Amino acid sequence: MTTPDTTHAARTSTPAVPMVGRSVPADDAGAIVSGALSYVTDRRASGMVWAAVHRSVHPHAHLRSVDTSRAVAESGVIAVLTGVDVPNNHLGSDPANGPVLADQVVRQVGEAIALVAAVDEATARRAAALIQVEYEPLPVVSGPVTAPDEVASVSLHPGGNVAGTIGFRSGDVDAALGTAELVVEMDTVTSAQEHVAIETPGGMAEWDLGKVTIWCGSQNPGLHRRLVAHALGLDADDVRLISNPVGGAFGSRNDDPVPVYLALLAWHTRRPVHLHLSREETTVAGPKRHPYRTRVRIAVDGAGMLSAIDSRAIADTGPYVTSGRYVLKTSAEMSVGPYATPNARFDGTVAYSNNANAGAFRGFGVPQVAFGLELAMSRAAERLRLDPAELRRRNLLRAGGRHSLYGHPVGHGFRAVETLDAAAEHPFWREREAWAAGSVGPWRRGTGIALAIKGVGMGSGRGDIARARLIVATDGQINIWAGPNHTGQAIETSYRQVAADVLGLPADRIRVHVGDTELVPESGATAASRSMYAGGAAVERVCAQLRAALDEAGAGRPLQEVAAELVAAGRAEYEAEFPLPDVADPGRIPPEALAEYAPHAVYGCSAQVVRLEVNRLTGEVRLHGVVCAVDAGVAINPGATIGQAEGGVAQGIGFALFEEYRVHEGRPVTTGLENYLVPTAVDTPPIETILVPGYEGTGPFGAKGMSEVVVVPTAPAIAAAIGAATGVWPQHLPVTPERLWTALRAADGVVAA
Amino acid sequence: MSDHVNGAAEGTVANKVPVTITVNGRTHRADCEPRTTLADFLREDLGYTGVHLGCEHGVCGACTVQLDGSTARSCCMLAVQADGSEVTTVEGLAEDGQLHPLQEAFWNRHGLQCGFCTPGMLMTACELLADNPDPSAEEIREGISGNLCRCTGYQFIVESIQEAAPKMRPAT
Repeated sequence: MTTPDTTHAARTSTPAVPMVGRSVPADDAGAIVSGALSYVTDRRASGMVWAAVHRSVHPHAHLRSVDTSRAVAESGVIAVLTGVDVPNNHLGSDPANGPVLADQVVRQVGEAIALVAAVDEATARRAAALIQVEYEPLPVVSGPVTAPDEVASVSLHPGGNVAGTIGFRSGDVDAALGTAELVVEMDTVTSAQEHVAIETPGGMAEWDLGKVTIWCGSQNPGLHRRLVAHALGLDADDVRLISNPVGGAFGSRNDDPVPVYLALLAWHTRRPVHLHLSREETTVAGPKRHPYRTRVRIAVDGAGMLSAIDSRAIADTGPYVTSGRYVLKTSAEMSVGPYATPNARFDGTVAYSNNANAGAFRGFGVPQVAFGLELAMSRAAERLRLDPAELRRRNLLRAGGRHSLYGHPVGHGFRAVETLDAAAEHPFWREREAWAAGSVGPWRRGTGIALAIKGVGMGSGRGDIARARLIVATDGQINIWAGPNHTGQAIETSYRQVAADVLGLPADRIRVHVGDTELVPESGATAASRSMYAGGAAVERVCAQLRAALDEAGAGRPLQEVAAELVAAGRAEYEAEFPLPDVADPGRIPPEALAEYAPHAVYGCSAQVVRLEVNRLTGEVRLHGVVCAVDAGVAINPGATIGQAEGGVAQGIGFALFEEYRVHEGRPVTTGLENYLVPTAVDTPPIETILVPGYEGTGPFGAKGMSEVVVVPTAPAIAAAIGAATGVWPQHLPVTPERLWTALRAADGVVAA
Repeated sequence: MSDHVNGAAEGTVANKVPVTITVNGRTHRADCEPRTTLADFLREDLGYTGVHLGCEHGVCGACTVQLDGSTARSCCMLAVQADGSEVTTVEGLAEDGQLHPLQEAFWNRHGLQCGFCTPGMLMTACELLADNPDPSAEEIREGISGNLCRCTGYQFIVESIQEAAPKMRPAT
């Protein structure tokens, strides 16, 4: 791999201005601003039919009968499909991931029961509504987060309602808690958050000559291709998924079944099919961030040194498990945050319910457990009259140090100290007392700080690999096919920057293509903060191969001439892969269980400071600003990186103050954007992003992933600021005015008594 | 049971009615069903796919167009209501191949990521700057608060509009 000193000097013989480190606009930006970009849901074809989904209106019921006759008889209807029409009615090989279309039992309001294809959209929706389903309602499981005292009378799956558990401990937590000078406990609830990618799921599929092509957003085209092949009994090579351009993702397009619906419809009708879910369907049926109840206890001495972190977490995965066990695994690893402590314990359970199906969401199990931990750290600092930044600093893990729970060494690019310092040096933090002193009337001012890390990639032992393919044409044009793909973050632009600098060529010589399973070698998911790091590294490697061939041909010769020689010699095509590094040693994890815990060698880090006011009479919160320090190693494209940071902060604000997908006894209370509140430009304060100088030695040009970790510290920083402003430490997210008002009243009652 | 996941069993197809709408300076005459929304008419019948649909219930603002000089949510009105009107979509912002200053600014200043909210955001920003040529950052936030963006956190959108504002003001 490269080192910071020699990156350009060693490789660039031409005096090209380096592209890495420049804020290059997204390749699609021109088409976006002119309205010309054709998204997957914009695609149309002649002879195309329109689809709609009939969905369960019960949270848990036997399907006594599904009568499609009225829908079939409707003029203009081409096909009506139910579970029996799916050759292999499973979303993947694990039955706990659920069927493609309901099979005898529905376990969630919104679960897909039937698909309809018709000559136009109105006919398809009308026919879908004509399907008559006779339900035999079953007892509803509200789950351990929504209904902690519930004794479920039914099991949602043969193995019971526990979908998975994970436990690990280091040292002697109970002894540390028993002898500590101070134990701070937080009992937190975090809610189901909806992704709200502005483009709802949808797209088009076509069946042609024994192959199906699907244009539909996906964060994991390879996985979706396998799901389609599995459901239809096809060879994966006969399934092609083209997954962009698409309007946002944030995790929602990992667990989305729409590519499978589209393929199934195209396969049955032998016609091009279009399906585009409504916002209501997406809100009710789409995946959510797992709701969690997390109990965290930390033990500290009088100097603020941590002696134990003890966490118990329970997650609600809804009716099917999809990402749930992996989400819980990530919670376990990140339950100790960036801190060093000799004693740590995590016990986690992920359970089924008849609530919303939960899946991947940016941060993937970290925001839920970091909230309680960070709040406990801030509260401990308050109790000890220490600067909360200083309390954290005293306990930080350093680069090369060992993880508190698993004992594996963290990589040398770890920058928690630097990241915390960058945030704490900001005037928002240094001048927090002056800010508080400016409180007027019922508006009380506070400032909060929080810190988080998030692993980059799928974790050790899981064989996580990204790949890239390159072809140079006789005219010197270079095409690169790389993944992970683009879901809105302009990753291909950053790949191109990396390629240009490795090759020492102008960026306009290079085209990068992403998101097509026919052309891009299998590269895994646009997830786990791995795209820039792993995809960028694969691009770097494939370009290094061509670079070596160009150098061999002699420096200073026209590219076109050399390219023609390479083509003639059969040396125009290259492929490379980047396996994400496993931890150097597994620490306390038995080597054979490495993949079970999947610890990371590389972590991104973010520290944030929030300045706000709370109205003590109404519980309203007004944000005045967020400072977001983030360690991305070397930012390949600072503009894009800052954009990711700010978008993450805004989603963190939503998680903290607004966003809650609510159900009552399995029935949705939240049904769309009228009652699911996403932060607007007024709810979101100015955000200042600080890119912390760093260098990740294993990443392309020193880069590493950062787009998830930025969503994590926002909520605990907001809650700590509310605590500083009012003395009330909110432990239930989102902190709505009602919740905060109730807590403030209770606190006042205690004071009055 | 009519519900939010399956929709209502809508009535049968009504007779089509003629509609004349001028879009981006070009007059279109077409027959459409009375229930067709302006957004669907623009997208499906006329091909202006820069009009994006993010919620179809008037919250997200992605479908915002200008209707006779004022912004309108094209998902929340019917095409027949726009009969005889002049509509501008994002495709009509550029003039003679020259991008509008707002388009340039969003492009250059990372005022977009996935881009799905961008057309509506641009149309709203256009009206905002026409009404208030020199807005403060707070006034910009207020002005675009009816348009949801899930990618950017709004900071670069606010900065893009601030950058475009002086270029749109008449020279004094």
